[in-house]
Amino acid sequence: MAKKDVLPLHINGRDQEVFVRSDATLLEVLRDDLSLRAAKRGCNQGVCGACTVLVDGVPVRGCLTLAGACAGREITTLEGLSEDPITRALQEAMIVSGAVQCGFCTSGMLVTARDLIAQETDPDEQTIRKALSGNLCRCTGYVRIIEAVTEAVTALKAGATATQGDAP
Amino acid sequence: MNADPNIPTGTAVGKSTPKLENREKATGRAEYIDDLYRPGMVHAAILGSPYAHARIVSYDVSEALAAPGVVGVITGDDVPEGRMGAFIKDEHALAKGKVLYQGEPVAALAAETLEQARAAVNLIVVEYEELPAVLSPEEGLAPDAPILHEKLAEYIKVFDAGSEGNMCSRTELSEGDVDAAWDQCAVIVEGEFETEPQAHVSIEPCGALAEVDAQGRVTLWSANQSVFRVQANVCESLQIPMSKLRSLTPRVGAGFGNKMEPHIQPITVALAMKTGRPVKCILTREEDFEIVRARHPFKIRMKTGADAEGRLIARDCEVLVDCGAFADDSPGVMGYALLMSGGPYRIPNQRARGKLVYTNKLRFGAFRGFGNPQVSFASEQQMDAVAAKLGLDPIEIRRRNMLREGDRWFVGPKIASNGLAGCLDAVESASGWRAGAPAAAPGTKRGRGIAVSAHISGLLGTGAIVRMLEDGTIALNTGATDIGQGSDTVLAQICAEALQLPVEMVSVASPDTDGSPYNWGTTASRVTYTTGRAVAGAAREVLRQAMEHASEMLDAPLEDLELREGGRIAVKGSNEDLPFAAISGRAHWAKGGPIVGHHTLVYDQPTHDPKRSIALGLPFPQIGVFSFGAMISDVEVDEVTGQTRVTEAWSAVDVGRAINPRLVDVQIEGGYVQGMGFALYEAMVWDGARLVNPSLMDYKIPTSADAPHVHAIIVEDPEPDGPFGAKGAGEIGLNPVPASIANALRAAIGGTASKVPMTSERVLAQMQGGGDAS
Amino acid sequence: MSFVVSPSSLQEAVEFLAANPEARPMSGGASLVAMKNARLIEASHFVSLARIDALRGIRREADGTVVIGGMTLHRETAQSDLLGGDHAMIAQAAGMIANRVVRNMGTMGGAVGNADPAADYLPVLACAGAEIELTGPQGTRRLTMQDYIVDWYETALEPGEIVSAVVLPPAGQGPSVYRKLARTPGDYATASVACAREGDGVRVAVGACGPAPLRDAQAERALAGHLEDPAAISAFCEALTALADPVDDVRGSAEYRLALIPRMVAAAIRDVTGEK
Repeated sequence: MAKKDVLPLHINGRDQEVFVRSDATLLEVLRDDLSLRAAKRGCNQGVCGACTVLVDGVPVRGCLTLAGACAGREITTLEGLSEDPITRALQEAMIVSGAVQCGFCTSGMLVTARDLIAQETDPDEQTIRKALSGNLCRCTGYVRIIEAVTEAVTALKAGATATQGDAP
Repeated sequence: MNADPNIPTGTAVGKSTPKLENREKATGRAEYIDDLYRPGMVHAAILGSPYAHARIVSYDVSEALAAPGVVGVITGDDVPEGRMGAFIKDEHALAKGKVLYQGEPVAALAAETLEQARAAVNLIVVEYEELPAVLSPEEGLAPDAPILHEKLAEYIKVFDAGSEGNMCSRTELSEGDVDAAWDQCAVIVEGEFETEPQAHVSIEPCGALAEVDAQGRVTLWSANQSVFRVQANVCESLQIPMSKLRSLTPRVGAGFGNKMEPHIQPITVALAMKTGRPVKCILTREEDFEIVRARHPFKIRMKTGADAEGRLIARDCEVLVDCGAFADDSPGVMGYALLMSGGPYRIPNQRARGKLVYTNKLRFGAFRGFGNPQVSFASEQQMDAVAAKLGLDPIEIRRRNMLREGDRWFVGPKIASNGLAGCLDAVESASGWRAGAPAAAPGTKRGRGIAVSAHISGLLGTGAIVRMLEDGTIALNTGATDIGQGSDTVLAQICAEALQLPVEMVSVASPDTDGSPYNWGTTASRVTYTTGRAVAGAAREVLRQAMEHASEMLDAPLEDLELREGGRIAVKGSNEDLPFAAISGRAHWAKGGPIVGHHTLVYDQPTHDPKRSIALGLPFPQIGVFSFGAMISDVEVDEVTGQTRVTEAWSAVDVGRAINPRLVDVQIEGGYVQGMGFALYEAMVWDGARLVNPSLMDYKIPTSADAPHVHAIIVEDPEPDGPFGAKGAGEIGLNPVPASIANALRAAIGGTASKVPMTSERVLAQMQGGGDAS
Repeated sequence: MSFVVSPSSLQEAVEFLAANPEARPMSGGASLVAMKNARLIEASHFVSLARIDALRGIRREADGTVVIGGMTLHRETAQSDLLGGDHAMIAQAAGMIANRVVRNMGTMGGAVGNADPAADYLPVLACAGAEIELTGPQGTRRLTMQDYIVDWYETALEPGEIVSAVVLPPAGQGPSVYRKLARTPGDYATASVACAREGDGVRVAVGACGPAPLRDAQAERALAGHLEDPAAISAFCEALTALADPVDDVRGSAEYRLALIPRMVAAAIRDVTGEK
């Protein structure tokens, strides 16, 4: 069994040092050692997507990422996106649209959807469906998740327009 | 028990209120079973049997006990003889004496870390004497078949199961005289159908956390669909008085039937009792596939006869159902499937018979639809086959035959509300059915198919306690587990409406066997209807007490008082009123005592009317009220590969009254997509005794990229005794999916689909075979 | 010593692997960590190749050869401007692997290293005439796909060797296509076909119907000049089907795969010739 090691990590904008098995996955470290439990373990094989987090701003599977390979990288979880305008717009939209049922897929879904909107400001339904195809949901049938993403895009554009309107 | 007609609705009922816990879930703060930690907690690992059928000869746990971090081990020798089981009590907490399926837990251990537990569990040595395995119901029924449950005759059974040999139960239902009726038929269709097992794949795997206190009392958290079924099952199998076990629920990551009956809870509790430490056990995804339960595979023989106008005269249905190693909910699933096998039609001569047979495979159990999707696959295709022979439109033949309000369902239950006609109208118009499917894109075939279904909501007991707190706000406690479908919110809306309060003024207690009134469970599409009735009743009781106080406080007769929006009781026609806070204050401090309303009920309308029908081995003497649904699927078939995709679907469901319309929409949409997976590619596959695909790499469920847009349509035909007219919505949106896709395939490429899933391989064969197979 | 080792040069990585026979090279980690999570492999170390710049990126040489570094992410391959002409099918295949998130992790070297018979890269690389570049303690060598895949899940990789790059001959005009049948989007292929137009003929490779992609250069030569002739296409499909060694698995039966090959190959040829 791998021995425990001190591992310096940079998580949600802060330096954190953990003492963990040197073969631990990022998902294990986030949940068990840092109490950052928004990322969930649905399969531990990288298929369900419930563990999706950002490493250097890019969505990846926490369960397939070794914590020991994250030295010097920026790790961002859903908890660390609480002030991010895109994430907040998505959360508000999901709360209202019916996109949140059991909620187990929600954290991973938000991280992936956030990445989509950050890359593409006006995705159509097909683009959204393709982008989220790696985040499995068994409850909603995806209809209201797609709706929430579209609503969030609209809200963000309106917010951006409003800000522009306010500019001197 | 509808709410007082004088109370205007619309304060809370009928609103698409976001669920009470949505913000918690959307910010990642919801706590599911794997997010709970207790001081001193240890982690469990399970050892499964390598054999499908074997006697357990001996255990050697010495090496495992000596492994780093291990704090305790249990085997079948550590659990008592108690047996649990919803219909037939045939299952121990942990295998004792025998194993009955490959992967069945035979031992478990706990260690300081999960890694240590998983490393050590394979050090437990178990000696087996392998026995020949039964791998199909046919094998199980063969005269010289090895017997799985040697003590079957001794097991406690809650109904007349007729258990014998490897036959777990049998059920026979009939009305009229089917055998004599074929001669009256102008058209007869006959066919054999088969459905493969579907896995629930809730994104959250099963898990439990158990802790024993200094008095020896157990506290158990688990992912569940009923804290009461958990309590009963654990206590029965471990022979503990129910007062010695408290069952609680964290947030639950869906269930669909997988978490209704026990999974890892008995083992987790036994480990906690053995080690004296809090024990957490979370199943891996593989274990969630391998050791919990799955949807029953059915073999169905069905024959349907109609007159020259397409009016049904006779329906004969025979099913052979694979039970798996333990009975679990299987007798209920088979009995229910037979009860529903005629569909929502008037059929004067009907018979439905079935045999449920133990095999050395994973137990099959409750899964959304509970046997109805399987029989609907057959019966709704036969409706289209009859229609085709007579040149009738598929919607027309259904209109001609559908049950009406006041009719009785097969075997006897009365139908009060029935919105099927409205559902048919709605999908017909929304889909543009009359215009037909759009033209097929090059290289594809295109078609549309309709299917209808009915489903019950009801069953068994439930209760609600409503308390008016000192400040006039409300505490609601029902014991109903919200598995994500929104029952907490819906029940709060019912309570709020009944008391004319904003829903934010109603708190909902988390189910807890220590304090919640009994609720059978979140299953059978029952919580809105059954528990909702209890909530309405309890709220009415609170209102009655509040009115009495107000009458004294305002010095006005009861008949002069009315309830007003905002939780105020007023003298009619005047501004004289009292807020709940004032009334509650008086009750708490001066007179009468704190205001508590409670109401409990058991669904008590009989299923079987012996004057009209014969029923042998019917697992549920009382069942429930009926919801109805109709759906149209539009499919596109790739001519090169046979791959089928649903381009769009319309699904209308009569839910009596939509307490929360958005939540009903999501049940319809989610039910469609889960049904689509079952219809097109989901199948658990066994190679002999070994489950071949217990992983998400090998067992695929629908993704956002292949799920269609589903148009959910709510139809409301109020159920007289439903809360504000509501009845269930959870399963009705899944039942007809495989059939509607099969009927769309018939339109696109011709023929009858005889197997579920309708994989691209099977569709290619159907395309090449052509013709009508029935 | 730490389980995860992150050398910054190929030399360092190769030396470490040679010195530690129980160590495994880790490219994206997607497959490797999944296997570790399932307790299917034990290793002394995982040697991350993520910091080795020489393995990253796609470049075009002066002579038109295109080199895809072993650590190139699927997302990068799918979005690359350097895969034009009849290399487009490679970008297309990359975009069909798994899903958006996994394409941020999986790499060319990792996928080719695993050589899962149902993987998307194998048929398109075989169709493109790619060479697989292996780097190990003995240096660097290049193999054709045919020489690289030895048997089911078995490649010519020697202990301590990694897939350092995939090398494509200069792109032809095309067009090219990758047709994939999968149960759900992103699943491994049930069967797949890569097809590129070449002059008055086509090059075709079939995936997921045997340990290695099926390709028959002789049959391709016979077909050249006869793309309008259904009998010639049929004979070509028969030749490829005869090479197949499909299995029964959860994605489909062997019989189904054999039925699919001629249908999908003919369709792919129609795709690149513009026939309907």
